[in-house]
Amino acid sequence: MKLSQISLFLVLGAATLPAQTPDAPKKQRAVAVTEGPAVALQVVQNNSLVRVNATSQPFSLHLPWQKESPSSRRGLGVVLAGNRVLVTGQMVADSTYIELELPEKGQKIPAKVVAVDYEANLALLESVPSDRQKAFFAGLKPMAVDTSARIGDTVDILQTGRVGELIKSELKIGKVLTRRYNVEGSGFLVYEANNIVRSEANSFTLPVVKNGKLVGLLLSYDSKNQVTTILPAPIIEHFLKDVADGSYGGFPSLGMELQSTLDEQYREYLGLKPDAPGVLISLVMKGGSAEKSGMKKGDILIAINGFAIDSRGDYKDPQFGALSSSHLVRGRAYVGDKVEIKVIRDGKEVTLTGELTRRKPDDYLVLPYLFDKGPRYVLMGGLLFQELSSPYLDAFGEEQRGGAILRLSHVASHPEKYEEDGRKKLVFLSLVLPTPSAQGYEKLGGQVVNKVNGKAINDLNDLADAFKSAKDAVHVIELNDFPHIIYLDTFNAERDNMRLLEGAYRIGSLKRLE
Amino acid sequence: MAPPPATQAIDVKSGAWEGIVNIDVSVLVPDYREPWNAGQPSGGSGTGFLIGKNRFLTNAHVVSNATRILIRTTNDPEPHPAKIVHIAHDCDLALIEAEDGSHFDKLKPLDFGGIPQLNTEVIAIGYPIGGDRISVTRGVVSRIDFRPYSHTSVDSHLAIQVDAAINPGNSGGPVMQEGKVVGVAFQGFSGRVAQNVGYMIPVPVIKRFLKDIEDGRYDHYVDLAASDFPIENPAQAKALGTQGEGVGVMVGDVEPQGSVGDLLKIGDVILSIDDNPVMNNGLVRFEGELMDMNEIVERKFAGDTIKLKYMRNGKKLETTVTLKRFDPYVRLGAQYNQRPRYIVNAGLVFQPLDRNLMDAHQMRDDTVNYVFDNFLTDKLYVERPEPVVLTNVLPDEVNTWITPYAHSIVDEINGVKIKSLKDVQTALAKKDKPFIEIVLLEKNRPLVLKRELAEDAHKRIMATYNILEDSYLGDE
Repeated sequence: MKLSQISLFLVLGAATLPAQTPDAPKKQRAVAVTEGPAVALQVVQNNSLVRVNATSQPFSLHLPWQKESPSSRRGLGVVLAGNRVLVTGQMVADSTYIELELPEKGQKIPAKVVAVDYEANLALLESVPSDRQKAFFAGLKPMAVDTSARIGDTVDILQTGRVGELIKSELKIGKVLTRRYNVEGSGFLVYEANNIVRSEANSFTLPVVKNGKLVGLLLSYDSKNQVTTILPAPIIEHFLKDVADGSYGGFPSLGMELQSTLDEQYREYLGLKPDAPGVLISLVMKGGSAEKSGMKKGDILIAINGFAIDSRGDYKDPQFGALSSSHLVRGRAYVGDKVEIKVIRDGKEVTLTGELTRRKPDDYLVLPYLFDKGPRYVLMGGLLFQELSSPYLDAFGEEQRGGAILRLSHVASHPEKYEEDGRKKLVFLSLVLPTPSAQGYEKLGGQVVNKVNGKAINDLNDLADAFKSAKDAVHVIELNDFPHIIYLDTFNAERDNMRLLEGAYRIGSLKRLE
Repeated sequence: MAPPPATQAIDVKSGAWEGIVNIDVSVLVPDYREPWNAGQPSGGSGTGFLIGKNRFLTNAHVVSNATRILIRTTNDPEPHPAKIVHIAHDCDLALIEAEDGSHFDKLKPLDFGGIPQLNTEVIAIGYPIGGDRISVTRGVVSRIDFRPYSHTSVDSHLAIQVDAAINPGNSGGPVMQEGKVVGVAFQGFSGRVAQNVGYMIPVPVIKRFLKDIEDGRYDHYVDLAASDFPIENPAQAKALGTQGEGVGVMVGDVEPQGSVGDLLKIGDVILSIDDNPVMNNGLVRFEGELMDMNEIVERKFAGDTIKLKYMRNGKKLETTVTLKRFDPYVRLGAQYNQRPRYIVNAGLVFQPLDRNLMDAHQMRDDTVNYVFDNFLTDKLYVERPEPVVLTNVLPDEVNTWITPYAHSIVDEINGVKIKSLKDVQTALAKKDKPFIEIVLLEKNRPLVLKRELAEDAHKRIMATYNILEDSYLGDE
């Protein structure tokens, strides 16, 4: 299911957490809570938390040979067994330097990422074992993960003040649902809670605890509506178990789209009985777990792993109540697990079995996210070719979405036709640097590349290879859009390549294909 | 009596400018959101001038969507009701006549000059804001260029830029030099964007319009419907075989339904049009000026031919092109004097996709925007000449589950592919199945209504939402 229309209020630094006047929460709490102080409770310390300071520097999406300016992020990590520290994936995305800091003493130690899952938005950090590392962790106690939180439970978001004092904001879990985290893809479990969260300096990762145990990490805080979403312990536990077994498989998915069958006329049209459960499968993705288990478009999904699916597409979770069926696979199962799916096909119940897989970012025609690596590119005589990615498209504002960007966005949302043509990635001409060999092409940009020197281009490697087989010293580049065909002199292009390497654009390499 | 030279004082009582009239217009702006309603009454005022017996030339935008037109002269307060004789939205010109033309019999029509030279003086005469009586402003010819005409926003023709003040109300008025009309004032920039930039429609465009309507009908502009891409790159010139000569422009795109759809291919090089050599940037030297090669086509009429020399795979070829209008682009521009077409069925409102619709509904849907934006570039018009949009679902018990699907392109109804609004009517008339089944483009479920429920609900919805007619498909 496409959830991109849901806007997330991501915590993007201290600025998004508004400084609250002490009076505001008082009024709120006076009605809602009968015990405890009105303002955020302060206790002395918690010896399972460390400050995490990360410097992040993404590659430029439009000039992929260079990096953007670095920025810093501060969060609060949770110490787990084995002197490892849990933070959100966002915290360490595109990081160049990470350090851990003891909240009270201010002692610091460098750390590196042991495991990260940007879809589940979780990362595990570690410091190189040494005497210094031993000393750093000596006073720290691992925190246990508690997956038992339910709707109605009261939990605390923890922050530390200037000298390490602990600041608690009390929240009540109001809803449990699934939604997208911070990259494109299917929904994950979240707890939603309402209350005011105080603003402190560190806000990229904040632990949420109950009775001294970890129940989640703060995912986002919408200060206007005072809605907090929490990345919950069941997802954290899944991540940690997966990391612990040595080979990280990630969170599996079925690879299908559902349509609710609440509309009575639609039910009758589909031949469903008035009270029969189930949802319509409207799309089965190529190569996904659902397809491999034999699921077909038009099937009515009625059960996954023994859980009945209702006409909204929900199942009854023993802990959380009605919840999207996607959690049955994504949150409650692992890659490689067997899955049993019951569908109604042609009026008969059919049981399908299969093995769960995960669709990796690289399996998509249009890369859904890109962190820690530079975008792939090939530069030839001033023509810059890239593979289309969601971050590239997202970098254009709403008002710039006309013309080529709108056309590329449309491909990104409807990749099927291109995938059927055998394309692994969508190669496009993204920019033209002014060189003598690219004279006349300066205004081009956004055209999909079909062929180069007669060879079909299914990814950038194909393109780099195709540039080796020019005839008559001219590269012939066929585009999907106006002007459909351009030519480049092979000798002059190579000469311009050499000039670009030393020239004003400070280009260190003519391509990145790793 | 011809108006005296521009530099002399004018005595308006002399009647010299009596043929330059104020046009007062009452307008009904069509409502593309509630297409069954009449629209919003409004009004405006512009200028026109006598060019023949009871024939007044003005801008199309002055009299677009008019319900009443009144002509007044500067020395006579009497309003004279008038009507449109011909209107050409693509070049923003219209010809109107007074219902009783006898009042204007004594007046002498204005004469046309030619294309004025740069830096020569012109005066703009009309009835702009700032007063009721006739006004004159003065300036020079600043630039002669191919420009988009903002009335439709998709047509470009020759336009002449002047620095004489051209203000709202000047529209349709003559711009004169040495007593002759050298243009019709028609558009400018707001003072916040640029200063002293006004535009007039030059005589070649006016004469083309007048010639086109000689047969009693306006046939619109004709178009090659091919896009050219300059040959500036040495490797490109070498590959296309035009090396070093600076002659010839590459064909970068061809509209399959346009005049050269079957004749030219992408990668061809156009060498000359009617024996005028085409330069590598698509310009020709025409009537002593460098102009876009399309200017040659611009002067022609539907059914006329041009001689085209071109090169394909290094071979020089020659062909004769019969020119025709290229329709698909029309819906990308603003359209006027049309009652919105629609079909309402069980609260589902179907309307053809065009600029007017996009502007009225503020469409955000990705698919609708893609189809509109790439209607030509991705040749979508070939498969779907008139895309139909489900613009609204008027809520009722029968359709309550499908209201979120408003703003979708309709692909099929009851198994019938929807290529125009008329197809929706045909498809809805098919009653062989108990369900009405509507497939939307790039939406992953069909909309389904039980026929008997839909038919019951239809009458109810029409009454509740105050819709008098359940469809308007145009005058046929």
